[in-house]
Amino acid sequence: MSFKAGDIYNLPFTVTNERYNGFIELFNDKNPLHTNDEFAVGHGFKGRVMHGNILNGFLSYFIGECLPTKNVIIHSQEIQFKNPVYLNDELQFKATILDVYESVNTVEFKYEFRNVETKVVAKGKIQIGILK
Amino acid sequence: MEKNEILNQVLSVFHDVLDNEDIVLTYETTANDIEEWDSLSHIQLVVAIEKKFKLRFTSKEIQSWKNVGEMLDCIKEKVA
Repeated sequence: MSFKAGDIYNLPFTVTNERYNGFIELFNDKNPLHTNDEFAVGHGFKGRVMHGNILNGFLSYFIGECLPTKNVIIHSQEIQFKNPVYLNDELQFKATILDVYESVNTVEFKYEFRNVETKVVAKGKIQIGILK
Repeated sequence: MEKNEILNQVLSVFHDVLDNEDIVLTYETTANDIEEWDSLSHIQLVVAIEKKFKLRFTSKEIQSWKNVGEMLDCIKEKVA
């Protein structure tokens, strides 16, 4: 298995207008927190807050496209949202392999997304299987 | 660690991973006896047991187990 505990992966991601609009078009979540600046500011945010689940799309891309093998499947993932993400925020993604369970071809990652202020906006864990 | 003590700790893993507190394990229990114990939950069980007992199995060991009792024997050997 070409994975070992401690391996680190870094990737940049941006919540572009295209991704934001595409998410709304696909899933129809037009909650005012995500679509109305005035509403969001009224609740203490700097502006429209991006859907946290856009970050799950980045996680999908990371697992599906950025690992040493394409023979992967996600078993489970969890995410905690720590700070808001705004339109066009540039995020730095870092994933670290926590452990490798060779007996069942399984790899566990922890990950975090940080914004340009280096604040963690989201973090969590993902467990994947390596397909035979 | 005695085999029965290992059984109790493994049972708590099964309750947690399979979200079913009613599961009862004996040395003779197999995956066929527990509805929630499928191929995917099997992976979660193995990972959780490896974490709990701070040990590692090999795929050969896992494939050799015919029932829970044989799994407990394997754990007992490793934690001795």
